[in-house]
Amino acid sequence: MVLERVMHVEDDESIRAVAEIALTDVAGFELLSCDSGQRALAQVEAFAPQLILLDVMMPQMDGLQTLAGLRQLPSMAQVPVVFMTAKIQQAEKQQYLDAGAIAVIDKPFDPMLLGDTLHGLYQQYLEQQ
Amino acid sequence: MQQPEIPKNEKQRLAALLNSALLDTDAEPRFDRLTSLVQQCLATEIVLVSLVDTQRQWFKSRQGLNACETNRDISFCGHAILADDIFEVSDASQDVMFADNPLVTHAPFIRFYAGAPLHFQSQRIGTLCIIDPKPRQLSLSERHLLRQFADVIEQEIADRLQQHSQQQLAASELMYRSVLEGTRIGTWQWNVQTGETVFNERWAEIVGYGLDELAPIDINTWLSLAHPDDLAASGKLLEQHFSGELAFYDCKCRMKHKNGHWVWVHDRGQVVSWTADNKPLMMYGTHADITEQKQAELALKASRDQFQTLVANIPGITYRCKADKHWTMLYMSGSIDPLSGYPATDFINNSVRSYASVIHPDDHERLDLAVGQAINDKQSWLLQYRVMHKSGAIRWVEERGRAEYNEQGEVSFLDGFILDITEEKTLKQQLLKLTSQLPGVVYQYQQWPDGRACFPYASANIQKIYGALPEQVKDDATAIFGKIYPDDLAGLANSIELSAANLSLWQHQYRVCLDNKKTIWVSGRATPESIPDGSTLWHGYIEDITTSKQHYLELERLNKEYQLSQQRLEMASETALIGFWQASLKTGELWWSPVIYQIFGFDSNITPSVALFKSTLHPDDRHLVAESEQRALQSGLHDVVHRIIRPDGNIRWVHELARLLPAGDSPDQVLVGSVQDVTERMQLQQMKDAFISTVSHELRTPLTAIKGALGLLHSGKLGQLPEKVQKLIEVANSNSERLAQLINDLLDVEKLAAGKMPFDIQPLLVQAELQQAVDNLQPFAGLHQATIALQPIVAGLKVQADSLRLQQVLTNLLSNAIKFSPKQAKVLLTAKRQQNKVLFEIVDCGAGIPVDFQSHIFERFAQADGSNQRQSGGTGLGLAICKELVQQMGGNIGFDSVPGKGTTFYFALPVKPDTIN
Repeated sequence: MVLERVMHVEDDESIRAVAEIALTDVAGFELLSCDSGQRALAQVEAFAPQLILLDVMMPQMDGLQTLAGLRQLPSMAQVPVVFMTAKIQQAEKQQYLDAGAIAVIDKPFDPMLLGDTLHGLYQQYLEQQ
Repeated sequence: MQQPEIPKNEKQRLAALLNSALLDTDAEPRFDRLTSLVQQCLATEIVLVSLVDTQRQWFKSRQGLNACETNRDISFCGHAILADDIFEVSDASQDVMFADNPLVTHAPFIRFYAGAPLHFQSQRIGTLCIIDPKPRQLSLSERHLLRQFADVIEQEIADRLQQHSQQQLAASELMYRSVLEGTRIGTWQWNVQTGETVFNERWAEIVGYGLDELAPIDINTWLSLAHPDDLAASGKLLEQHFSGELAFYDCKCRMKHKNGHWVWVHDRGQVVSWTADNKPLMMYGTHADITEQKQAELALKASRDQFQTLVANIPGITYRCKADKHWTMLYMSGSIDPLSGYPATDFINNSVRSYASVIHPDDHERLDLAVGQAINDKQSWLLQYRVMHKSGAIRWVEERGRAEYNEQGEVSFLDGFILDITEEKTLKQQLLKLTSQLPGVVYQYQQWPDGRACFPYASANIQKIYGALPEQVKDDATAIFGKIYPDDLAGLANSIELSAANLSLWQHQYRVCLDNKKTIWVSGRATPESIPDGSTLWHGYIEDITTSKQHYLELERLNKEYQLSQQRLEMASETALIGFWQASLKTGELWWSPVIYQIFGFDSNITPSVALFKSTLHPDDRHLVAESEQRALQSGLHDVVHRIIRPDGNIRWVHELARLLPAGDSPDQVLVGSVQDVTERMQLQQMKDAFISTVSHELRTPLTAIKGALGLLHSGKLGQLPEKVQKLIEVANSNSERLAQLINDLLDVEKLAAGKMPFDIQPLLVQAELQQAVDNLQPFAGLHQATIALQPIVAGLKVQADSLRLQQVLTNLLSNAIKFSPKQAKVLLTAKRQQNKVLFEIVDCGAGIPVDFQSHIFERFAQADGSNQRQSGGTGLGLAICKELVQQMGGNIGFDSVPGKGTTFYFALPVKPDTIN
């Protein structure tokens, strides 16, 4: 199975804009871009992404809380989640993996390589299942 | 006239005459009656009992004649005694032998003479003669009558003598009896054959009885009173006397006194008559009380025995010798035997050897001189010298002697006493050896109440302690007291007085000033003894304790310093909230310092225990502590930071740092450690971490957008841009890369400095790691028109490292090499085993590193040109980070560079031990 539908949750508008071009124009994914965890939880089921790209530091509901919320949704229980964040201390990264993320992508990210990275992670994820 | 002849046996005859005891005695009726009877019976004018003496004839009895003697030459009796028959001259005037005899020619005008010889003891000692002035012839009956009268006279002579003897005996007995009474000697008479015995009163008195009390007396009386033990000896003496072996029976024995005590008696007797068959019959003897004499004798004997025992027991030899050349020995006691191996008799009169002969030859001259000098000075001598024992052994002796002088002042004898002092000498030598081994002085110190003092004995080391020789202080200790450190003198004197007064052990430490101006510390210790002359004698030991005293003083100073630093430490530990503790993992025993109560918020009266400590652990951190304890069992180091919950509910951070004592020192698995309240530090750290995290995040977020946007523009995906715009986009893009790298490097530097960079050390295949680095850097190399040449690596070579960090180092060094290489250049990458390391090398052929800069190359923010235009485009932190990473993975890093020719960077990391060469 090939990765086609990706949901990106990111409160920073600038980054959202860059990511959107990178994931759609460069990588060619079908993208749902949300500016908060709450909006993501509200729209995720309708969109039914194959992979979710989550920021960590967001107001009201951070990435980890959003992940927890997603896992509450039956259809989202197994969907792979990748954190893309600037909070990349070793301990922080471990925390995300422990919470159930399959990988962490450091910010700043390379917009030209982001799509390839997600493809690779998704294939890895499928192989492990 | 014919003189009478002298008989042949004249000598015996005269002896018999003398024995008759008649000559020159008074007239006696017994003879005169008989001569008178002869006068009448034979009708003669003159009758004489004439005794023929040497020169005369003397008349014991005479009738009809006044003269009492006439000369033997003219005597008729001188002729009459020449034969046994009656000598008769009928008419002397007609006889040629007598006619001119003056007794014939003158008065009494003898004509007739007849003499019958008188015998005594078979000798003719004289005659019974009759004389008439008229011639006459005796008839046969008349001759017979004369002879009979002569026989009666002979009998009278014998009787008279016996009677006389008896009288004399009686007188002598009386005398002896008086003497005996006077001497208080008892007498006895014993009929050996019948046992009949007579004692005198004195005999009985000696044993306390009257004679009547002892009646009836016989030999059994003696036997019953004699001491039973003495009977055998008495019997033997009797036998010897009876057999003639002993002239007298002479016996001293004990007899039982009436009062029960024993009296010593001396019996002496002799057999006075024998039976016909030669058995002893009568025996007479004396019986003397010799109790006093015997007691005196016994006392004397006892005293002599005592003296002899005394002499024998004296542990030495007494002698007296002549003052001659050979010292001729007159007396020498028996103790010479054990000393010399020769008996004393050998030396008496130098009979076998002289005493000088056993004296060691080397000592002779010295002894002769000393004795000679002493004799001259009339002094006694005291000498020590060697005597050679018969066995060859050498014995040391001490001799005290003195000469005895006579009234003229000449030496009569030498008297002396010799004592074997070998043992003492040996002991002295042993003592000397022993004391010479001791570092201090062994001594005796004596002090009198008047203040006099001396050291009767001191070992040689007294010179070391006081700088004085033993001989110098033997009689006077003054020299010593002059050496005592003035400030210590009073204290020393007091301590001695106190010891003397209480007879208590003397112990004192004081200083002594030696002659070389050096002051030493000494310590003395001695036991006092009270001496009858009022003095006190100490036996003790003094040693130089200068070194240990200095150590002690130093120790005291250090101790004070230690106490001070202890106080400072306590203050510091209180201020820094560091507590100390000691715990046994085996027994659970725990000790902790007061600060711990403060840190843990415990009540001060609570008893420390491991269980109590564990109860304070924050539940989330229990595993941290347990893991650290486990590690401590392996590594010996317990190092953990964890939280505790105090009794008031307050949560605090503590840092425990402890070491497990080596098993040999502590079988109870004792951990000794400190605990510090690091709550504030932890809070600061947390704040710092949060700050860095936040700063990092907040920098990266806008950078993400900028870099992303530039990246997209630069990629051309969004359409071709004018050339100038494209150029500016490139500049912006590469600088945003630098900014991102700078943020990453800063975070790494901070982590490395704080030791918080985690490393996951694994065995890594070198080939794979190098290949990955080459792959990662390939695009970058392409950009710089450089190539990376990976040299062949030994298959299977593994290195112990964290893959992520190894890649970080390789990437950094490779990107540097690429950056500093000219276009079209080649960068070599290689790795090989070097002993227990893997050596990585990155070789470029760039410009090399300027010499001035080489020493700064691993410093932070160091760049060689220092200009604003940086060809390299690095952050200035890369090599500093590489160095930290390599070192923290147990390796080392360096470079070789020749300016203008290129640079080789190398680093070495531990090889995986079982890796193939």
